[in-house]
Amino acid sequence: MTDRRRINAPSGGTSTPIFARTVKDPDSLHTLRPTRARQPDELRKIFLKTGLTPSASGSAYLEIPPADPPTTPSPPASLIPPRSSLKLACAVHGPKPLPRSAPFSPHLILTTTVKFAPFAARARRGYIRDASERDLGVHLETALRGVVIGERWPKSGVEVVVTVLEAEEDVWWGDEFTAGLGRTGGWGLMTVLAGCVTVASAAIADAGIDCVDLVSGGVAAIVRNPDAKGKGRSEGEAETKTEGPYTVLDPCPAEHQEIVAGCVVGYLPGRDEITALWMKGEAGEFAEQVVDRAVQASIATMTVLKEAVKEAAELKFQGSAGGDKGIKSLGVSNDVEMVG
Amino acid sequence: MVPSSHFNHIRDNTDLKLELKIPELNSQFARNSHNIPPYAQNKPPKPPNLALKISMAAKTTEAPSLSFPRDIFAALSPSPFLLAHLSPQTPSTPSIRPNGRAPSEFRKPTIHRGSLTHCSGSAVVRLGDTAVVCGVRGEILLAADIPNPPSAPPQPAATDASDADADDEDDSAELSQLSLLVPNIELATGSTPTHLPGSPPSTLAQSLTARLRALLLSTRLIRARDLRILHRAPPPPDAAATPDVPPTEEAKAYWTLYIDTLFISLDGNAFDAAWAAVVVALRDTRLPRAWWDDDVEAILCSDVPAEARALRLRGLPVAASFAVFAPGGGVGDSAFRDGQEERAWVLSDPDAFEEALCPEVVTVTVDCTGGERRVRRIEKSGGSTVGRELMKGVVQRAEERWKDWLEVFGVGNS
Repeated sequence: MTDRRRINAPSGGTSTPIFARTVKDPDSLHTLRPTRARQPDELRKIFLKTGLTPSASGSAYLEIPPADPPTTPSPPASLIPPRSSLKLACAVHGPKPLPRSAPFSPHLILTTTVKFAPFAARARRGYIRDASERDLGVHLETALRGVVIGERWPKSGVEVVVTVLEAEEDVWWGDEFTAGLGRTGGWGLMTVLAGCVTVASAAIADAGIDCVDLVSGGVAAIVRNPDAKGKGRSEGEAETKTEGPYTVLDPCPAEHQEIVAGCVVGYLPGRDEITALWMKGEAGEFAEQVVDRAVQASIATMTVLKEAVKEAAELKFQGSAGGDKGIKSLGVSNDVEMVG
Repeated sequence: MVPSSHFNHIRDNTDLKLELKIPELNSQFARNSHNIPPYAQNKPPKPPNLALKISMAAKTTEAPSLSFPRDIFAALSPSPFLLAHLSPQTPSTPSIRPNGRAPSEFRKPTIHRGSLTHCSGSAVVRLGDTAVVCGVRGEILLAADIPNPPSAPPQPAATDASDADADDEDDSAELSQLSLLVPNIELATGSTPTHLPGSPPSTLAQSLTARLRALLLSTRLIRARDLRILHRAPPPPDAAATPDVPPTEEAKAYWTLYIDTLFISLDGNAFDAAWAAVVVALRDTRLPRAWWDDDVEAILCSDVPAEARALRLRGLPVAASFAVFAPGGGVGDSAFRDGQEERAWVLSDPDAFEEALCPEVVTVTVDCTGGERRVRRIEKSGGSTVGRELMKGVVQRAEERWKDWLEVFGVGNS
């Protein structure tokens, strides 16, 4: 267990702080439960920027702040954060030649790594990658492999590294105290994966690796709020939707009492193709519908992605006359010039 | 290989050109440049007629000269490149580094604090192209869980009044024996091409972590009494008989601080950035009020923000790193050694390109809180250029750097 290459926790083990409120007065917790203030087909705001890591070939940073209640500037009433946000940093290294020992490869070899920071969630995570992180890495690779034109880079490899500084939660934190176990978890990973796809696509575009299209991730879920009728859901949309399960785009698991099924897609709008599809839960007859909704979510994300990539490209080729011309003149200036 | 993108953003010193007059060297360079894999420059492959052009040029009677753009020059012969920048062309012009800074100039830091949701304190520090995220999390270590408690159990001060005494209290033994501080540095976040994930922490990451921990303990930045969770045992039933005995307080548990530092981007001088991020994050840390609850037999915390308290840090130490570039000391190309006077430059806050060329590095940690300069630590390795005399100047520069940081810390405070 001890890792001799890092500084380890005290051998007695430590525990996360237990807040008195959760023990003494668990019934009052539900007043802290966040509710979804967005329309079912409304996404949270996305902040996306490329070029965060100058030492990498390409990089991007994505942040989805929690849908902010109007009282954000006032100091929080509790030290327990009501919900998490999503913060992802992605760096792309390469394409670079494969090591001599590697066997011949006629196309680009894509290596994806997703790693959660130790402070990414309420429970501290370790430094060694666990199964869920490896799983996310494989999903991400699936989503990206169909986009990169690998044949143009034989005998080369590219590393895509996503660091999850802050992750979406799987359930609302209060449910760990009030409700029992037995719920399916892992819903937060879907939002994380969708974010990873989007941020990696932006970073790959920033690195200048040839792609058929940009790929963006989108999530949709079928949710059910059994006792949401009485509790402060006075918005107009609530009346029709609170009865049976309904579909939402970009679900924040903390805001929903029960998620029936969820779906993530990696979608290429230019070609109307899906490169990755991950579905979970009991969607039943709504399976197709939830996929369609996830595609809608990724189309909405694409507008942000396009803006970010365009902005970076304009910055890169600033001062040159036009897009194509700028690239050409840049290539010329990099040639070795002869004097004398 | 230094990526060319490294220099793209740098101020364009187009006036600086390397002109080689020797044909042999020219052809050598032609070979060399031909060997650069196109990937290293991360752009379309080189025009294949390069060698041809040069051989044609070599046929002409007068000695041809060849000039490269600065990024290729830097990649091909980094040491002469740096030397050409640093040695002034005329005595009146000041020497300037390839990144556009003067030798004694630091990069301007920017900090941002409190951006991580799940941390007690957090900071993002940016130093040029080096960016670090640090998060401090407090977790609880029960005293009963400590397998081998220190032989002499620490005697916590009975009253809170002796704040001045606590300044002198030697508690680093307590912190280190119980390992209440768990600092770790992660470089394998894609921050630099040389530290890719998938392998155990590199030597650099391990040494940075060890240095960070040693400095945290030796500066005695954190007070052990801030981390103790005291419990006043209820008086035993027969205590009424002896009312003079004050109720004893025992440390029922300790806060353990996990200080995780992740590099988002690394362009030299990792330690300064990491240390600053740790200090800012610790200054930002608010630990909730915690107490031992007899009913649940556990440590409980209050979630009222007003009851949380900050760590009272001792002083404000700041680390300043310097790299010594001594091309005559066997570092540079032998071609440049002849006729070149023995010169050395002490470069403040080196970037990755300079770090690769400077084996000798000095890190000075100073603390000028209260108007008095105290050197907390001097780390020096790799050479002997910086002697007693030069060290004075280095410490002086570190002191000026401390003032820079203070300004940044002050801005973040408001």
